[in-house]
Amino acid sequence: MNLQVSPTQSASYPPVGQPIAGGLQQAQNRWGMLFVSPFFLLFAIFGLFPLLFSLVLSLSDWNGQGAVNYIGLENLNLILQDRVFWQSMFNGVLIFLLYTPLQLLLSLVLAVVLNSRRVRGFRLFRTIIFMPYITNMVAAGYVFQLLMNSRSGLFNQILAVFSVAPVPWLDTPWAARVSLVILVLWAWLGYHMTIMLAGLQTIPQDLNEAATVDGASPLQIFFRITIPLMRPVILFSLVLSTIGSFNLFTELVSLFPSTAGGGPLNSTITPGLYIFNQGFGNFRFGYASAVAVVYFVLVFLIVLVERRYLGRDNT
Amino acid sequence: MIRLTKQLLVLMVVLLATSVVYGQDAPSGTITLWGWSFDSMEATGLIDAFKAEYPDVNVEIVVYPSGDTYQNLQLACSAGQGAPDVVQLENSHLAGFVALDGCLTDLTEQVEPLLGEFNDYKWLDAERDGKYYAVPWDSGPVVLYYRQDIFEAAGLPSDSETVSELAATWDSYLEVCKTIKEETGHTCFANSRAANDARLYEIALWQQGLGYYNEAGEVTVDSPENVATLEKMGEFWEADVTSEAQPWTDPWYAELGGTGEDSTASLVEASWMGVFLKTWIAADLPGVWGVAYMPAFEEGQVRAANDGGSTLAIPEESDNKDAAWAFIEFMLARPESQITQFAYNDFLPALESTYSDPIFSEPDPFFGDQTPRQIYLDVAGQIPSATVYGPSYSLMNGHVATAIQRYATGEVSAQEALSQAAEDIRRETGLQ
Repeated sequence: MNLQVSPTQSASYPPVGQPIAGGLQQAQNRWGMLFVSPFFLLFAIFGLFPLLFSLVLSLSDWNGQGAVNYIGLENLNLILQDRVFWQSMFNGVLIFLLYTPLQLLLSLVLAVVLNSRRVRGFRLFRTIIFMPYITNMVAAGYVFQLLMNSRSGLFNQILAVFSVAPVPWLDTPWAARVSLVILVLWAWLGYHMTIMLAGLQTIPQDLNEAATVDGASPLQIFFRITIPLMRPVILFSLVLSTIGSFNLFTELVSLFPSTAGGGPLNSTITPGLYIFNQGFGNFRFGYASAVAVVYFVLVFLIVLVERRYLGRDNT
Repeated sequence: MIRLTKQLLVLMVVLLATSVVYGQDAPSGTITLWGWSFDSMEATGLIDAFKAEYPDVNVEIVVYPSGDTYQNLQLACSAGQGAPDVVQLENSHLAGFVALDGCLTDLTEQVEPLLGEFNDYKWLDAERDGKYYAVPWDSGPVVLYYRQDIFEAAGLPSDSETVSELAATWDSYLEVCKTIKEETGHTCFANSRAANDARLYEIALWQQGLGYYNEAGEVTVDSPENVATLEKMGEFWEADVTSEAQPWTDPWYAELGGTGEDSTASLVEASWMGVFLKTWIAADLPGVWGVAYMPAFEEGQVRAANDGGSTLAIPEESDNKDAAWAFIEFMLARPESQITQFAYNDFLPALESTYSDPIFSEPDPFFGDQTPRQIYLDVAGQIPSATVYGPSYSLMNGHVATAIQRYATGEVSAQEALSQAAEDIRRETGLQ
């Protein structure tokens, strides 16, 4: 049997997929394929096909019914002039800038603090911080909407006790964005903290101990050891937050029901919500698909940039 | 032998044909209904009465709020299956569905004899290229709801006729609002600046027979009349007599249903709002709200507009259209059915033959023993045809609402706000 071995691989192992002796490897491969096939099958039907169909639809002005009428790149022309779409991208960026640094910092710091077993009740704190993540977002958003009401909401009532003027939490564009960030932080902090915790546990304790022995302060350990080693985890959390900022939906619809999630003067609408509105609200499926394609490309570029600047040590 | 066989064959064919014909005569099977207002038929025994007349028909009601109804119907039409036999559609969204080829059944033949029986304007959204696709159910004549106690506290008369005179035009209504604000500190009505949903604006357009487009199909969102209408609304913002409560949120309900400092003195809305006030929003405040005619846009103009109102339609996918039509005819085209529903939920029937019924002159204890139904009737008969609703209503409403928000918060002038909205609408709909 002639084995083709490439220079980078060890000579004692055949390249993967190459038959060892007759059909054994082939048989093993076949069983392997069989076991993973359900996922690929479902992905092909519910993931790949809609994706491709969406790409095709993006070249049409289909309204969900009847014949599909292809109009080529005219949708692109419409998108470039679509004020609300660019507003939604702008909102996504703003929300990202307001939310992500704060969330990364908080989740990392909390994870470091709660990673140490010396903190009393650390398990209890972890649970409490994680609980908002498992609450139903519609219910949570609705409660926040009640709390943030500028006339009768609890937040302003508390502020009134300290003689602070009532804040128009949901009534002005910037306040609406900040309120949205507050809700998203509250809901997702636990999730990101847990990811950070998992990442921290891969850092060997010896490193920290050695550093302490050498006289490093906890702050120095944090900045010189923890953060650099946590780079891939931070990148992961960053990418999730990026995509999440542009995809906010439930939070918007429950906080801003009067404007169907758009917020005052469209200050909180995200591309995700906008695509949904165009497709299922205005019956413009062709256009919504085109917006989805453009949106995908833009977010993909943003994530590529993030990976380039933060991920290069780990390729 | 051969002749006998032939005769037998003919006999069999004749019997078969007869049974098929007779089988088709009486509607039968199960019909599924989608909508949110069928309680007026269930709770009043109308469904039972229907079953008594059509014993072979079963009725299955699926309650969906309006948003879900539209989404599910759109998905069913798109997928080619899953649509119900009867679906409730508000006039505002009806034209959008009529525009979807093959979604709704053409009911022109069945509806022809009924065209003159209902409020004229209700047929606009159901019609396309001379064919009709839905039957009107209820109307939304717009009136002025006002708080008698707050008016009295401001030193104003609180009986329906005088209030109607006081608020005869939007200008005099503004004066009334200013008086109330000065004397009692109460706001006149809720009209959020930053979260405006364009509802009041659309009412103001409707009463002038205006809308978002004209008969030629051109977009009129930025026409001088539309701009003037927005600027008239702007006068109320300038005078600071409105509240910022966002519609359909808890604080908005609290303003309408409470007696505290933040409660609001009036509300220009359709007759179905009176039902909501009575049954849940202000259920604890009987005898305090009153009903008057809405202000005219200008002296001598009509004091009537429409907001909302539903219809019933039959999706094309339904395989039981006979039974579905029998249901619609029974519930909407017969005065007795409509009156029974009206007695239950106060939604004004679009069927004009009901208007002579004595029920309309009954005093309503919730409204301090006034007779609001007479006002609803009177207004319903005067509602002008307007081009607010249409196939692209959602899209247009979205852009105009944003324009109003920009104008109300002082970002741009009314002309600029509406011009931009018009430009976006023209580009996205392809209309001129």
